[in-house]
Amino acid sequence: MFPAPPLTRFFLALVPLSLAAQPAVDYLTEVKPLLAQHCCRCHGAAQQKGGLRVDTVAAMREGGDSGTLFAAGPVDGSLLLKVILGTHDEVAQMPYKKPPLAEAQIATIRRWVMQGAAAPAHEEPEKTRHWAFAAPERPLAPEVLDTAWPRNPIDRFVLARLEAGKIKPSREADPATLLRRVTLDLTGLPPTPAEVDQFLSDKSAGAYERAVDRLLASPRHGERWARPWLDVARYADSNGYSVDAPRQIWKYRDWVVAALNADLPYDQFVIEQLAGDLLPEPTAGQRVATGFNRNTQINQEGGIDPEQFRIEAVMDRVATFGTAFLGLTVSCAQCHDHKFDPISQQDYYRLFAFFNNSVDDGHGKTVSGGLLAFPREIEAPEGLMRELEEARAALESFLNTQGGAVTAWIATLDTPARVKFGATAREALKLPWDQLTLAHKRALYALMPDGAPEFAAANLRLQRLERREPRPITTLVMQELPQPRETVVFIKGDFTRPGERVTPGTPAALPPLAVANPNRLDLARWLFAPEHPLTARVMVNRLWQQYFGRGLVETENDFGTQGTPPSHPELLDWLATEFRERGWSLKALHRLIVTSATYRRSSHARPDLATSDPLNRLLARQTRLRLDAESIRDVALAASGLLSPKIGGPPVFPPQPDGVMTLGQVKRTWTPSTGEDRYRRALYTHWWRATPHPALAVFDAADGFTTCTRRLRSNTPLQALTLLNDPQFLELAEALGRRAESARGWSAAAKLSHAFRLCTAREPSAGERARLVAFFKQQTAPGGGGVRAAWTAVGRVLLNLDETITRE
Amino acid sequence: MNLPFPDYSAYLAHSTRRHFLSRCSLGLGGIALASLLGRSRAVGAETAPAASPRPDGRHHPARAKQIIYLFMAGGPSQLELFDYKPKLIELNGQPIPQSFLEGKRFAFMDTSHGTKLLGTRRQFARHGRSGAWVSELMPHTAKIVDELSIVNSCAANLFNHAPAKLFMNTGSGLFGRPSMGAWVNYGLGSESQSLPGFVVLQSGPRGPRGGAVNWGAGFLPTTHQGVPLRGGVEPILDLATPAGISAAQQRQAFDAIRDLNLARAVETGDPEISTRIAAYEMAARMQTSGPELTDLSKETAATLTAYGTDRDTPSFARNCLYARRLVERGVRFVQLYHTNWDSHGGPGENLNSDFEKVCREVDQAQAALVLDLKQRGLLKDTLVVWGGEFGRTPMGENRDTMGRNHHIDAFTMWFAGGGVKAGQVLGQSDELGFNAVEDRAHVHDIHATILHLLGIDHKKLTFRFQGRDFRLTDVHGELITKLWA
Repeated sequence: MFPAPPLTRFFLALVPLSLAAQPAVDYLTEVKPLLAQHCCRCHGAAQQKGGLRVDTVAAMREGGDSGTLFAAGPVDGSLLLKVILGTHDEVAQMPYKKPPLAEAQIATIRRWVMQGAAAPAHEEPEKTRHWAFAAPERPLAPEVLDTAWPRNPIDRFVLARLEAGKIKPSREADPATLLRRVTLDLTGLPPTPAEVDQFLSDKSAGAYERAVDRLLASPRHGERWARPWLDVARYADSNGYSVDAPRQIWKYRDWVVAALNADLPYDQFVIEQLAGDLLPEPTAGQRVATGFNRNTQINQEGGIDPEQFRIEAVMDRVATFGTAFLGLTVSCAQCHDHKFDPISQQDYYRLFAFFNNSVDDGHGKTVSGGLLAFPREIEAPEGLMRELEEARAALESFLNTQGGAVTAWIATLDTPARVKFGATAREALKLPWDQLTLAHKRALYALMPDGAPEFAAANLRLQRLERREPRPITTLVMQELPQPRETVVFIKGDFTRPGERVTPGTPAALPPLAVANPNRLDLARWLFAPEHPLTARVMVNRLWQQYFGRGLVETENDFGTQGTPPSHPELLDWLATEFRERGWSLKALHRLIVTSATYRRSSHARPDLATSDPLNRLLARQTRLRLDAESIRDVALAASGLLSPKIGGPPVFPPQPDGVMTLGQVKRTWTPSTGEDRYRRALYTHWWRATPHPALAVFDAADGFTTCTRRLRSNTPLQALTLLNDPQFLELAEALGRRAESARGWSAAAKLSHAFRLCTAREPSAGERARLVAFFKQQTAPGGGGVRAAWTAVGRVLLNLDETITRE
Repeated sequence: MNLPFPDYSAYLAHSTRRHFLSRCSLGLGGIALASLLGRSRAVGAETAPAASPRPDGRHHPARAKQIIYLFMAGGPSQLELFDYKPKLIELNGQPIPQSFLEGKRFAFMDTSHGTKLLGTRRQFARHGRSGAWVSELMPHTAKIVDELSIVNSCAANLFNHAPAKLFMNTGSGLFGRPSMGAWVNYGLGSESQSLPGFVVLQSGPRGPRGGAVNWGAGFLPTTHQGVPLRGGVEPILDLATPAGISAAQQRQAFDAIRDLNLARAVETGDPEISTRIAAYEMAARMQTSGPELTDLSKETAATLTAYGTDRDTPSFARNCLYARRLVERGVRFVQLYHTNWDSHGGPGENLNSDFEKVCREVDQAQAALVLDLKQRGLLKDTLVVWGGEFGRTPMGENRDTMGRNHHIDAFTMWFAGGGVKAGQVLGQSDELGFNAVEDRAHVHDIHATILHLLGIDHKKLTFRFQGRDFRLTDVHGELITKLWA
């Protein structure tokens, strides 16, 4: 079945049924799709090579530079047949430089021409617009034969396709599997055995929906869904490049978690991240949100040209904006006009201009203004602040008696002596003693020869206390320069080759931004203009991708002409319009998807579809998905019972193998966290870009260098080694074993089943239980490590199961 | 023992084969699968050189099968080692002619960049039948010049360490692109059944700038990324079974995991589980092969002496010995990083004693490696590459001690084995060593050539990412045919 482009379907609806019923060749279903696929790229709306377009029969009759395609006479003498047969004397065989049409295809076209090349009524030329550049129109959910199956409109779109292919949807997943699936999908954690029991015993209507609502209300939901967003935001806890110094921007991460938990509408969610600083009287939270654009790398290597790396950061912001919100590869236009999509190099630099005015530099040195501090959030050790105040007061009262002595000493200094002073002392020279701050007075007095011993003692006391004084929490934010920078086109993308000047603006192919002198805030609001074709589609597609492993548009980062067309275009548009109609509520969208019948199918493979739909594009079933790196750790933490529920705060340092941190240019230490912080969700693990935590990296966590809208799911022996041998997983296996063992009064088999359920949420089959019992017996055999070690071994096996690290 | 499980091996063989044939990115998993299927090696033929007419996945007959890349991190001074410039010595201390400076950008230009020419103080002599110039600082390398193609006309684009190193490894100064080793494994697969196809070793005072991205897989499947081996007894992270668990118990755990995974594979029909089962089998083999790899007890005293290493001390020399052992075991791409070649002048980085020291650290071992490979018949199939991310300027720097700045317009790399012509000096820089003026070998050209030697057409080894077909050489790359012809 040929996947009909949207326009063709439009015509199909207009064609009288009688026409299709005739034995003649049906132009719309048999010929037009062939022409659309093989010819219209060069002879369609976009371009008309040889002055010819073939997107309507009328245009073909009219012909191009070589005349009409249907000259009178024998059919094989017509221009159309000659060029597709390759018998024309001058014109090369078509499609040009592509394999010729198949014999059957040529025969169809030949018959159609012989039958008079009938044109349908009201045939309109192809529109220039690529589907993704036209605003989604709300389609009606299609009629289906099995009206009992759909649970919401999503299912009607899916079922209509399946019914057209005579495919029955798979059965619903087992209740335990279903609850584990939706719990993992909505919270990133497995259900507890108690939650499973409760769900299995609740036979009343709406039990599943109630579970969904419970999960959506859980604070774990924001933690789980923050992760893919942080991938998009290329979040990391270090500066990247070679030095990869640590940075504080975790307040931004916490803002994302809180915003998702509060179901901040997606338009606000995005506007605050792109331009919270430009909102009227922005709150601290709105400024924190702008960390989205400060997640760029900072190059602190010596000898760099800071401007070069400032520009790299701006380019990264443009690339991220294009990928995250437009689903377009705008960076292709950095050096030249986009080869495939309607984005000119000018368009690129017009977008660039929006991001070119922030105060941050390329070296990380100019931080004033780009940094938001939270001095009140620090908890100093008991009494420290009081002691500090006392010590400061003591030192100050001493120094206040020394004005005359210091002034006299300064008067003896010549210029070369003064130049050698540090910055603070030099500043202090400019003002009279009684107008100086304590810091100034201190700096000057410390330089004076023959200082009084009282100073040394009081100063030392203060210094010792100051060393214990916590530094204020800060986070990187966007802040505009008072005067915007001038933006120019860089010839071939080379910042040393400035071209013509440009002003901020949006790509010409997208809806206009009707604001004079627009800034970043206007750009952010433009994304949510009612006629914007991409924002909603791109986001619902990414959400869909998380639930089914593949977006409705498989190329989730390329909605342009080189991307794959949507598998279910009407469903995509329905979801996009629904998203908007529900006030951009992400939780409403989550609920809609997970309560659909489509989502609830079994993920078992279907031998009957192994060849016709091996990748499950038609969604007859669910798909087994290996868990994300973070969830793999979180599931093990939850199963072991060690998981800390603490939300937010500075990044933590769960154990990792020795030597990992020595691989970077600058050797850094990794002191494993103790106490609760050792068992926090992986979302909170400190992410060093140059030396990421290996247990996360090995499971394809996003690297944080550039925006990531889809992770790979690799399957490697190094993953096996990690789960089997890594100290952090061994610790969790031990705790899981202990947890199972401690169920007093249970048989070993019952304990094994319990441990199995902690990992997979389901009861083991008889065979599986017997295999576990056999393994347990092996481990407790004489000469082994004893019962405790045997339970640890059981824990290891269970944490290594494919099912444990998979959402089924 | 009698397990309560049915025998799923027939199922596994069937589903694995089907999966293997249908799936795209296999990488290490694929290798494991290949061995499960009784194949000797897994060529990523379904993925990479898709248009390859050859059954081995290559585009044309290969001259080299494996690579050892000796990466001299920091940018060694070609003017102190291989590129002999009498004219520069003659003009020592003179200002650089303005004509050489126009249109050029340098690192540290604003503060400490010197403008006076600096002639080398090292003695140079011609060596071997080829008569190649090598300075006194590399006496061992001087003895093997008839095995080498020395290229004095290399050129790069980027002059800061991290981007330049990325450029040399990935063909781009930006993060996120796959490294050469990842590309090669993606294209050809590994020949080792029990070791990763891309292995990285490091020596010197610090890690190379940029760290793991230098051997990253970028947007390629992560199975192709370089696996950094560390010194000591555990060359691969988490390779050793935790303390207190015996080998027999570990095997029992592997067996239980396999059986339970098999049951799930049968229940769900998901071929991905078969891949995981194969991955665990590979992991089990790596637990044995890893320690065997690093066990140097069977290396003779003569070998150790030739390399200039003992069995226990981590060093570039010992890494060279590991490199030979890795290629012996079929590892496709071995990369050794050695620091610090960043000879600006200044503490620890002068062109005097510091430079002599770093030369001593590599000279004997790299020469021994080439000779050892040759003696064992491995050199004809193994391409050895030597070079940094760039070279050094003909001018000295205004620092306390003698040093040179980063220079991208002319520097030296050398190549040996793997079908490369033995005993030639290729390419020339101008009389001051400023620009490559004959047979200029740009980084993209070097990449194209290395892939060519492996039997890969650099224009055909592509991966579609974010709407575009990427390749190691981007849209560039001309073959340096003189390297082998």
